[in-house]
Parts: sequence; structure tokens; C-alpha cells
Amino acid sequence: MTDSPRPVLPDPYDNGRLIRRLLALSWQYRRQCLAVLSYQVVLLLLGVAGLGLIGLGFDVIKEHADNGKPAHWPFGLHPPATWKPTAEIGLIGLLVLGMAAARAVLNYFYTMALTRLVQQEIVVHLRGQVYDKLQRLSFRFFDANASGSIINRVTGDVQSVRAFVDGVLMQSVIMVLSLAIYLGYMLSLHVRLTVVCLLTVPVLWIITTLFSRWVRPEYAKNRDLVDTMILGFTESMQGIQVTKGFAREREQHAKFATANAEVRDQQRRIFWRLSFYNPTVEMLPLVSLTVLLSYGGWLVLDDQLEFGTGLMVFVGLLSQFSAQVSSIANITNTAQQSLVGAKRVFEVLDTPIEVQSPKEAVKPVAISGAVTFQQVSFHYQAGDPVLTDIDFAVKPGECVAILGATGSGKSTLMSLIPRFYDPTRGQILIDGTDIRRMDVDTLRRRIGLVFQESFLFSHTVAANIAFGHPEATQEQIERAARVASAHEFIVGLAHGYQTILGESGVNLSGGQRQRLAIARAVLLEPSIMLLDDPTAAIDAQTEHEILEAMDKAIKGRTTFVVAHRLSTLKRADTILVLDGGRIVERGGHDELMRAGGHYFRAAEMQLMDDDTRRRLREADQP
Amino acid sequence: MTGKPLGGIVQIQPAREREIEQRPLEYALIVRMFSFTRPYALKRNVLYAFVILRSLQLPALGMAMGWVLGLIVRQHKLPQDQRDFQVILSAVGGYLALALFTNICLHFRQRLALELGEAVVHDLRDAIYRHLQTLPMEFYHKTRLGRIISRITSDVDVVRAGVQDVAFVSVVQFGQMLGAAACMVWMDWKLFMVVLAMVPVLWTINRKFRFKLSRANREVQESFSRVTATLAESVNGIRVTQGFVRQDVNGGLFRSLILDHSRYSMGVAQLSAVFLPLLEFNGQLFTALLLIIGGTWVLGGEMHVETLLQFFVLANLFFGPIPTLGNLYNQALTAMAGAERIFKLLDTKPAWQDPPGATDLPPIRGRVELRRVGFAYDAGRPVLLDVDLVVEPGQTVALVGHTGSGKSSIINLIAKFYLPTSGEILVDGHDLRSVTSHSLHRQMGLVAQNNFLFSGTIYDNIRVGRPEATDAEIVEAARRLNCLDLIEALPNGFATVVGERGSGISLGQRQLVCFARALLADPRILILDEATSSVDGMTEARLQRALETLLAGRTSFVVAHRLSTIRHADQVLVLDHGKVVERGRHEELLDRGGVYMNLYRQFATAAEST
Repeated sequence: MTDSPRPVLPDPYDNGRLIRRLLALSWQYRRQCLAVLSYQVVLLLLGVAGLGLIGLGFDVIKEHADNGKPAHWPFGLHPPATWKPTAEIGLIGLLVLGMAAARAVLNYFYTMALTRLVQQEIVVHLRGQVYDKLQRLSFRFFDANASGSIINRVTGDVQSVRAFVDGVLMQSVIMVLSLAIYLGYMLSLHVRLTVVCLLTVPVLWIITTLFSRWVRPEYAKNRDLVDTMILGFTESMQGIQVTKGFAREREQHAKFATANAEVRDQQRRIFWRLSFYNPTVEMLPLVSLTVLLSYGGWLVLDDQLEFGTGLMVFVGLLSQFSAQVSSIANITNTAQQSLVGAKRVFEVLDTPIEVQSPKEAVKPVAISGAVTFQQVSFHYQAGDPVLTDIDFAVKPGECVAILGATGSGKSTLMSLIPRFYDPTRGQILIDGTDIRRMDVDTLRRRIGLVFQESFLFSHTVAANIAFGHPEATQEQIERAARVASAHEFIVGLAHGYQTILGESGVNLSGGQRQRLAIARAVLLEPSIMLLDDPTAAIDAQTEHEILEAMDKAIKGRTTFVVAHRLSTLKRADTILVLDGGRIVERGGHDELMRAGGHYFRAAEMQLMDDDTRRRLREADQP
Repeated sequence: MTGKPLGGIVQIQPAREREIEQRPLEYALIVRMFSFTRPYALKRNVLYAFVILRSLQLPALGMAMGWVLGLIVRQHKLPQDQRDFQVILSAVGGYLALALFTNICLHFRQRLALELGEAVVHDLRDAIYRHLQTLPMEFYHKTRLGRIISRITSDVDVVRAGVQDVAFVSVVQFGQMLGAAACMVWMDWKLFMVVLAMVPVLWTINRKFRFKLSRANREVQESFSRVTATLAESVNGIRVTQGFVRQDVNGGLFRSLILDHSRYSMGVAQLSAVFLPLLEFNGQLFTALLLIIGGTWVLGGEMHVETLLQFFVLANLFFGPIPTLGNLYNQALTAMAGAERIFKLLDTKPAWQDPPGATDLPPIRGRVELRRVGFAYDAGRPVLLDVDLVVEPGQTVALVGHTGSGKSSIINLIAKFYLPTSGEILVDGHDLRSVTSHSLHRQMGLVAQNNFLFSGTIYDNIRVGRPEATDAEIVEAARRLNCLDLIEALPNGFATVVGERGSGISLGQRQLVCFARALLADPRILILDEATSSVDGMTEARLQRALETLLAGRTSFVVAHRLSTIRHADQVLVLDHGKVVERGRHEELLDRGGVYMNLYRQFATAAEST
């Protein structure tokens, strides 16, 4: 403990840095972005031209029907005076149509180009990158983050990151461009009218921004309340037996009713705000419109403004302009979300891979399995040692059992051997070579692993056994299954080795799962076997199924096994008793029983009382 | 064949029974859905008034704008010195007033609809919850949790959308269409025919697009669920992946999966890229037609420019709702499917209920008797056959046997989670069939095999045993189990939050909390399904002593996995294939040298010297 102030490190994920990184990421796709943007510019121009043409159409009609003043054709492109008015109208109509058709076609290409960029390039690339990185991260990361949050980094967060490219960056450019075009057009029609009509725009912008700031915390709160309600509901379904067993239906219902009502009340708060906001933003453009109609109307009557190409075009432009302005709030929302997502994605990409093979790594072709721990200490967090001065040597083919209370460091000790973590002090040697000098992949392939509750993938039995060696032949798979005493039950399954396991497939018993896990480890023909309490989740009556598989699997291999049950402990050549991260006792079963220490006390409970033993012995005698 | 070993990281079989996403509109369902608005009848009726008002206002607003434009044109026609700007100004003023009124109505229309929808959803959730609690355990064993949860989440959400949007917005939109149509017919029915001709085209394009889109979206969802399922397993199986050095293989497989997913996303984009511009083009086509046809008529003197102007505005009002209505129609079909599932759940009759004349069980001493009890979860597949058992108050019964021998069924029957198929169970001479479940459970305690804890503090979890217990009483219960130190060792002691969102708590500590919960209830009958998982030796010793305290003086039924529990039981019941094959005390059974001795040896001698 020191009292010196910790140096204030710059936050690697402050908004400025995040934006710079996101911009750098977007820069990689500049060519595609530019293509998409150029489509958009043409589309905008065509849209504006369409508006102008319809206005022109009205002016032409007015010119001839009301004997008004001649319509103002753009760029002096007036058709020959010999043309009949209907021909002029027809021409304009066809032009509108032609432009609309061009827009439709361009729109298709625009959407496709954008989607290709976003979905097929950015998202695929990022997802692959994050996934590859995830698979190489230390278990620390997986212990520190809920699996849902990790999955979301590859799915939702990646989408938020790419939304920066299309939803923020490109949208902003498009918005600036379109506002500029609309504004330019409006100004070219009438400067003062433009200014007066756009007076409400800043108001609209401010209201939209304020509103999203005003309502966002309410939505966040609502999400939390809904989550709480659903969690409570899920639990009361999972715990229905407890609820019924204690006759607590009323209390449980009251809890749910409260959560349910809280959601409703929170929603009402949101609705209240929402139904103020929506009429307001709908009203503002109408206010602009009234300004336009009155002032613009006056200008028309004063012959300062054309009716069709002036006033009507203005009406169209104004509504487009307002729509763009109110989408600013969307862009800022997306920007905020993509910053949050980017932080979570970059966190993964930036996390260093803890364990890596050294340059010029040793790649042993075969190892005999002599394992030595020399003064090994380990901690996950400084100041909180998990293992201290672990020192032992195992000869090839020996079986070491590790015993200790929860948190005594058993599993950690095991995970140091395949280098899931590196010791903080001391070294581990296999066949006399420091494992840090070995190629990690080679080392791990020489080690067979069976975990406490073995994870099987939702795939065929065969694929699960061949997990570490996907090219394995059916013969190899069956051989491994036989060693693990699993062949018999596998062939008894509906589709034998092709039976699919997992949530949507067949559910196996705990004992069967563990035997598959043993087969999976055996298939690699490892020199070292690590079994982390493989019978922990198995009831005592079926334990013997696994014990038999274990016996066959560890034959001739250096084995480390974490165990509580005497049945397993007694099979070991050496037993290490861990307490608080230190080896407090070591030796064979008989030796330790005689010593009368930790081991004896733990074992005693599992032994039969003398009376039972006597009765069993008597029963054995005819 | 189902697949080669290398076909991906995971293989997901198509869900056996997919829930349908949409169903046709059905009058009875709609009526029933709307019956949930009955408690809010006033609000609903006011809402309808606003809905009708809105559907009149929207075309009126459009008319007004067209009218103002028309006025400008008409004034413009006059020589400059006769033009009257005042007329236009007062017309614009009228327009503004109408706009304001319309938006005030919008506020109420929107707020009332949203509130009504939320209130209905709230009541639906409550009804679902209440109903679920009346269903016996059979239902929970046969129904997947995910299904039940989606009733109060996604299904309720689509119903909400149905009430909030479909029911009211569609009326407004329809009203707007009708209003606009009426105005157009009134002004020039011939030109309206041109407008009308476009409707089937737009509607067909719209429907076709929605249909294709929903199919394409389903494909996207399916490919995405393959991505997430693979991800989930990759995360949960990370230790296996790294231990077996599969990172590169998995990386390649995952890439092909996301590429596949992006191809489906492209498919959806392509549909939108074709149809949305097509819809827009149709709008433009119509504008051009109106311009050409209407223009020709105006030039021919058959129509006023103002009328043509009005048509432009009104036609937009007329066509605007079509895509919205298409969308709403889709939502309505989805809401139908959701509502149907919810009502199906609400209509599920409990497999059995306490009979109407059931009486409350008076305070009991705890004598339990099973008379020729038979039981089957599924008819024709009996799991218990003619079980007879008499347990005196305070005795402990250990149930022993292989998986599937019927141990759990016996405790489920005694707890009245199920009813026996034949025979009867008596508690202090009362047949369980004729007493209320509630009064039985009030005098019963339960420790389930999975040691279930609710999200909340340790206090909350123990208090489930007796809600009115004070904190001091809860601490006292833990003290009596001699495990105060183990709970106080948690980060915040009894106030430590456990469960899904809480901090980690060891298996041993979980079991102790469940014991304390049962002890606090101080039941006459205790049902205990021992956890199969083993805990470390020190904790195990504590658990065994705590268990002795808990069982003392209560009639207890234990599905036993601990040797010590079996040894101390007053009766050991050995079950095999639903029959009691042996019974007696531990020593007697050992001496008999039968099934029990072999069973016991199997899981006890594994530990002994060979």
C-alpha cells in the first residue's frame, strides 16, 4: 500500500481519440465512400430538378390558361414558339418522368454500393478481426466479462462501429451537401424569403437536440426497468418449485406486479414527453409554411416571384430542408452509439495477447512428460497471491492428485502447465525445457485437457471427439471413444457418432458428457493429461463410469488430477494438498492418512464408519 | 447423414416447432384483445373522438393549403392594381389556426393511444403471470422456459404495437384517404379516376415487396442466429478451443459464416433497392400524368388551375397512407399471431386443481402415509408402482436408487406438485387431494436440487421461507445452522447480492442459504433433494452438521447422495424401477445383503481401500 498519488493516465478511449481512430478506419474505405457519395450528389440534383420542372409545368399552364406572363424557362431553353402549349406540358411531363426513372436506377446502384461497403466489407472485416482476437485472449478477459457482453462486441458493437462510417460520416456529408443545394436553390429564388422561412430551422434543430437529450435518460431508465422485470419473471419461472414449495405465490406476484407497474409508469413519462415533442416538430414546418404562403404569396402578387418555379418549388424545398434538419438528431444519436460501440470493439482489439510463442520457439516432436515446477508463484492481481513457491517434480507417467478447498489454487496450478497463464515468478519445465521457450500450440497439442464441466459443442459426437484434430478418421475417433468407455453408449444413440448434441440436439447425462470429454483429450494421444475435477458434477452413483474411463485414459501418461473424492485421490502416485496457494502436505494416500493432517481430516468424512465396514465385510463372507 | 465432423463450429438443427410469425385477421381474437381496453373505456372513447377528429383534420389541412395556393393563383390572375393581399393573409391565418388545432389534437391522440396500449400490455402481463402461478408443475416440466418468457416479451410487444399503432393510426390514415378522396370526387370526379387507377398498382407493389421482404428478413435472422449461436459456443467453449488449439480452424469457419450472413443482408438490401425506388418512381409517374392530363384540361378550359393545384395536394394526402397502411397491416398480422399465443397460454387449463370443497390443512404433527401410490408423468409409462410408506412425525426417510428409479417422483407427490395416478397420500390422516395446496405448502419446507437462489440479497433469499421474518431472525437461522461465518465471509455479508446479476457465491454457500431458508420456515415436513455436485471437504463437513440441525424434529424426505444422510435416516427406502425393493435402517439393510448393500458398496467402497 502506498499513499503516493497514482499517475493520471490519459484515457485511451476518450471521445477525441475514439473519433480519430474511427476516422482512420473510415479512411481505409475512402474510395468506396466517394463512389457512394457521388451517386448521392447526382440523386440530389435530379430531385431538385424534378421539383423545378413541376413548378415550371404550373407556370406554363398558368401562362396559357390565364393569359399570364410567360413562364420562365431555365437557362434560356425556351422551346420554339411554334410549339403548342400541350406539347410544352407534355415535354415537361416526360422530363419529370425521365428524371424519376433515372433516379430510380441510380437509387438502386446507390443502395447496393452502400450496402456492399457496409455489410460485405466493413462488417465482415471487423467481425473476423474481433473474433480472431477474442479466441486468443486470456481467460481473464472471459472471466471479467459476461458472455452476453462478449458476444455483443462481435455482433452489435461492430454494427455500431460501422454505423460511424455510413450513419455519421457519410450522412453528415450528405446532409451538408443537400442543405447547401437546397439553400443555394432557395437563395437563387429569393434571398429575403429564404431567410424568413428558415427562421424556424434553428428552433427545430434546438428542440430536436434538446428533446433527445431530455428523453434519452428516460429511455435508458425504461430499458433497465424492463430488464429487471423480465429478469424477475424469468427467475420466478425458474424458481417456481421453490415458490410453490413455500407457498409464496402471493409474495412473488406482488414483486412482479410492482416491477410491471414501474415499467408502465415509466412508459407514461416517456409518452408524455413524446406526445409533446411530436406535435411541436410537426407544427414548426407548418409555421414556416404559413410564413412562406403569406410572404411568398405577397411576392407573387407583387410579381417579384414566379408562382410555379418560385413559390411551389419553395414549398417543396422547404419541406425537404426541414426533414434534413430534424435528421441531425439521428446523426448525433448514432454518433454517440458508435462511440460506445467503438470503445468496446477497440478494447478487444487492443487487449494484448498475454501468452505468445517466443521467436525461435522449441517445437518438441515428442515429449516424455517429466514436469517440474521450480519456485512457481502466481497472482491474477498484484498483492493477492494465488500460488506461492510451488515446487515439485513429476516423472513421466506418474499421476499427481491435487486436493484443496475452494480457492486454494488447484485449477490455477493446472492452468499454468498448458500456459493459459504464465507464472509471475519461478519456472515450469517439461522434459527439462522451460515451457516459455516452447511453441505454445505445440505444447498444448501435447497436453490432453478434461475440465470440471466439460463444454461440448452443438455438433455431432464425432466432431466433438475430433475437436482437437478435425482430420481424424472414424477409426481414430472410435478408438478414442473406446478408451474413454464411451463407444457403447455412443452406438446406442439414435444416429451413433453422427448424433447431434446440444440445445437443439440430444442431451447426454453428466457421466456421458465427461466420457466424451475424455475421448476428446485421448484422441490427441497426449503425453500429459490434465483432469480438473472431472467428477465434480457427477452424482456418486454414476461416478464409477468415469473412473473406469479415467483409468484407461491416463495409463502411461503424466497426469494431474484435481479431486475431492477419495476414489480418485487414491489412484494417484503423489497427492499435493494445497491450502492458501501453498503445498501444505504431499505424499501417497497411505502416508498422508498416517500423517493425520489436512488430508486425513478431508478423507475421514468420506470413509465408512467402522460399523458399516464390519457389516459389509460380514456380508462378503458366505 | 446429419453432417461431416467438419461442417462448422456448431450445427444447429432447425427448431423443431417454429412459432409462426403472422396469422390472418380474426374477428374473435380482435374482440378479445379489445376486451382488455374495457377497464379504460372512458380513455378509449375519448381517444376515438380524437381519432375521428384527426382523420377529418388531415384532409382539411391539405385542402386548406391547396385553397390558399389557389387563392394566390386567382388573385394573381387579376390585374396588378386589383389584387387583394388581405384575402390571402386571412386565409393563411385560418390555415395556421387549423394547423395549431390539428397538432393539439395530435398530442392527445398520440398520448392516449400510447397510454392505452401500455395499460393493456400491463394488464396482459399481469394476467399471464397470475395464470402461470395457477398451473401445476407438470406445465413447467413440459414447457421450455424460453417459450414462456417470449409470451411476456415479444408477444406482448407485438400486441402493444397492435393496440397503439394499428388500431388507431390505421383509422386516422383511412380517414385521411377517404376525406381526400371525397374532396377530389367533389371537385373533379374524372381526374379522380386517374388517381384511383394508381391505387391497385401501388398496393400490389407494396404487398409484394412486404411479402418478399419478410421472407428475406427471416433468412437474415436465421443466418444471424447461426452467427450468434456459434459465437456463444465459441465464448463458452474458449477453454476447450485454446486447450485444443483450434483458433485458426474456428476463425476460418466463422469467416465463412459471417460472409454467408452478409450475403443474406445483401439480399434484403437488393429488395429494398428495387422496390423503394419503384414506389417513388410511381409517385413521380403519377405527378407527371396529373400534370399532362390535368394541364391539357386546364388549357382546354375544362378545369381551373386552382383545381389542378388542389389535386396535387390532395393526391399526396391520398397516396401518403398507402405504404403506412401496408406496414400497419403487416403489424396487425403479427399482432394476431402474438395475441393468439398469449390467449392460448391464458386458456391452458391446469392439469388439475384443488377440488372446490378442499379444506385448509389444520396445523399438523407430520405423520405421512402413502397407500398403494402409483404415478406416471405420461399415461402408460408408470414411474411409481404401489408404494406404501408410513412415516411417523419427526422421522427422516432417505430415498435411494439409481437415476430414474422414482425417488424424485415420491417427493414431488408428497409436496403435492403432482397428484398420484392411483392410491392416496395422507398427512395426519388428511388425504392430500382434499386439502388446499396452499395450506400444505405453508407447513412444508423445500430444498431443491439446484439450490435455486433469486436475484437479491442473502437476506431476501432466506426470507422466502417466512416473509415476515426480521433480519435478526434470519441471522439467527444461519447461526443455528452454525454457518454464520460462511455467510459473513461474503463481500457484504447477508446484504450480498446473489443470483444472475450478483457476485459469485460458492456451491457450499448456496446450499447453506437454502438450508437457512427452510429452517426459517420451521416446517413440519421437509423435502430435500440433495445436490449431486461435490464440494470441498471442509465445507462438506459443515454442510453435514447443518443438515442434522435442519432435519432434527421434522418429518423429512431426502433424496440422498450423502453417505452420512443415509446412515442417520430412520428409514431408508430403496427404489428400483418405481418399486420399493428394500426398506429399513442402514444397518438392517446392510445385514440383509441385498440391493442396498450392493448399491452402497458401489458408491462407498470406491473410496475404500481395495
